[in-house]
Amino acid sequence: MGLQDDVQKILIPEDTLQQRIKEMGDAINAMYTDEDRPLLVCVLKGAFIFLADLTRHLEMRHEVDFMETSSYGARTESSGVVRILLDLERNIEGRHVIIVEDIVDSGRTLDYVTRNLDTRGPASLRVCTLLNKPSRRVIDVPIDFVGFEVPDEFVIGYGLDFDEEYRNLPFIGVLKEEVYSEPEEGDVC
Amino acid sequence: MRKANQISNAIERVLLDEEAIDARVRKLAAEISADYPDAVYGDDGLVLVGVLKGAFVFLADLARRLTIPHHVDFIALSSYNEGTTTGEVRLIMDSRINVADRHVLIVEDIVDTGYTLDYLQRTFAARNPASLRTCVFLSKPDRRRVEVDIDYLGFEIPDVWVVGYGLDFADRYRTLPYIGALKKRIYEK
Repeated sequence: MGLQDDVQKILIPEDTLQQRIKEMGDAINAMYTDEDRPLLVCVLKGAFIFLADLTRHLEMRHEVDFMETSSYGARTESSGVVRILLDLERNIEGRHVIIVEDIVDSGRTLDYVTRNLDTRGPASLRVCTLLNKPSRRVIDVPIDFVGFEVPDEFVIGYGLDFDEEYRNLPFIGVLKEEVYSEPEEGDVC
Repeated sequence: MRKANQISNAIERVLLDEEAIDARVRKLAAEISADYPDAVYGDDGLVLVGVLKGAFVFLADLARRLTIPHHVDFIALSSYNEGTTTGEVRLIMDSRINVADRHVLIVEDIVDTGYTLDYLQRTFAARNPASLRTCVFLSKPDRRRVEVDIDYLGFEIPDVWVVGYGLDFADRYRTLPYIGALKKRIYEK
């Protein structure tokens, strides 16, 4: 049994994904200079693959930093309360910051992270997300760079998981419904 | 070379280009996939633990080439005295997954003195994993101070200051898509 057997369809194939990421890199290249030295903030775990590919296209001086957050909520629905498990190593006061996300769904996590970083006095704060699912938005959050808008389907791959699985698929796929609707033994609902 | 002049001017020479890196990463992923033939879905399976910040690029590429199910996790470390080689390591963020009775693969960008890897191996061994192996992209054997076992190794390199593919100099040059040797005037400044 392979991971790909659980994929109902490929939504964005690998080459389309890579082409678009290069374009996003170019858009960032056009907006920042060496002197700006932007700090790209990756929200773990999902965004690390996107960050690895995106930054390989950047031509200006830049740095990367990581944050890990966790929600207290159930498996697929965020409760909106976000806890910071790993904070940035860098002080961002006066820095140009770009938050790098894999997907913006309800917008709750991003809204929290954006507000939190904004209180630290960055010179600028922008958001770059690979995927955007506007149909699921609960909180309106400004996004500056978007890779793809996706429909309200269960998307996996390229950093996106279901119960920690499928993250490493090199494309964006839609998970078969029987995989995520199947009640698992031992799960407390 | 794709990166802008200010960055590539700091590079003495390219040690490993993108093609060489890609070929080696695919080979490592094939070896690892073959070595865990019984890898299963779910909470009993293989866990890849990436060491931040440096290993995120290697991990992003390696995981995508694995054909076996696995989970990904991160750990963040720092040394107590930057610039010294006392070998004391501080845990900033622990891994989130409970690794007891699971197969653990530590993923590191580089092994230099071996202090960090030694710390990681001791830390994870104490958590009673089903097995514990280590995958390292680069090794500098000339710099070794403490003996460490490496199960999967990308490349052995000489004792020169290397940057790119996750490796930095004061947070710079980390996202270069190749491994380059840094010019002396940069790190002796």
